[in-house]
Amino acid sequence: MPEQLQLFLIFLKSSALAVGGLASLPLLRADLVPQYVTDAGIVQALAVGRLAPGPNGLYIVSLGYIVAGWTGALYALIGASLAPLVMLPATALARRWLVSAWFGGLVRGVSLATAGLLLATGATIVAGSGTQIWQLALVAVTVVVTVQGKLHPAVMIVVGAAVGLALGR
Amino acid sequence: MPIVKSPPTSRALARAWFDIGTQSVGGGSSTLFLIRRILVERLGWITMREFTEAWALSQLSPGIHLVALAGLLGRRIAGSRGIIVSVAGMMVPAAVITAIATALLGEVAQHPFTIAALAGIGPVAGGMTIGLALTMARPVIQRGRWAILDVAVIVAALGVLLAGAAQTIVVIFVAGAFGAALLGRERPTSSDAPMS
Repeated sequence: MPEQLQLFLIFLKSSALAVGGLASLPLLRADLVPQYVTDAGIVQALAVGRLAPGPNGLYIVSLGYIVAGWTGALYALIGASLAPLVMLPATALARRWLVSAWFGGLVRGVSLATAGLLLATGATIVAGSGTQIWQLALVAVTVVVTVQGKLHPAVMIVVGAAVGLALGR
Repeated sequence: MPIVKSPPTSRALARAWFDIGTQSVGGGSSTLFLIRRILVERLGWITMREFTEAWALSQLSPGIHLVALAGLLGRRIAGSRGIIVSVAGMMVPAAVITAIATALLGEVAQHPFTIAALAGIGPVAGGMTIGLALTMARPVIQRGRWAILDVAVIVAALGVLLAGAAQTIVVIFVAGAFGAALLGRERPTSSDAPMS
């Protein structure tokens, strides 16, 4: 398969098989690290995704750019925009399925598995970006703040950068 | 029956979604809030009931739920034209800004200051991923005695990935099949609704 097509399919697949914006991350990481990008690149993409406007899931465009420049960003944008739109024919043709118990169970199973996969991916990112005491403290604070959901997500990125500048040299 | 009104022009629709896409820094709930405020309250193109129903359906979509929501609302507002204009209006400007920001970061990536800053951003990115995973797990776990099955799926997926025992995609398919067979007993509750 041509490499360009393969890259596009990686982005499309990660959006098509995950439920939720950041849920594509474990799949993308499995397909892209280490051939196309390092974990440091993933951290950059997550940070930019949080600081830039738009849905959280747009970190995928940042990751696409890191992997293959504007072409990669375009692949990621198209993949992320197409996959969720499967709901349009689905709501018109198969509404009965969508409200069925088994379909609800399927979505719930995928969501739960994604939560587990994201936990593992988060732990891998933490391990890869350094485990000094101040870094682990940042992890702990960020987890609490994210679960509470009151502070704007971009604030923690700025705090992380400031702490890194103060202690990370 | 609602009063039939003529749909807005593509330009007006694109403008509304452009505002939503570019003003919602941080994504998620802030985007949802903006969609409600602009499309439901300010412009009146969508009723609160239509918004809530589209939101519930969008939660079942693969990928970014907000894209599905934009598509569903766009179709309701202006048919197939509305789908394209809404999704592109929300995604393209935000994606261009995201890509440019990535390019700028790449320019300074080797600078010692950037490296030091990223040493602090890395733990934050990891912590956010973990926190988001916990947030995803929280509502589905509050299901009484079936919660044990829910927790089992989370722990199994976590363990399998950390141990490298199976491919990520296999975990997702198995969990989907398991969920379809065993986890579909209860319907989502109204407490899952987006708006307070």
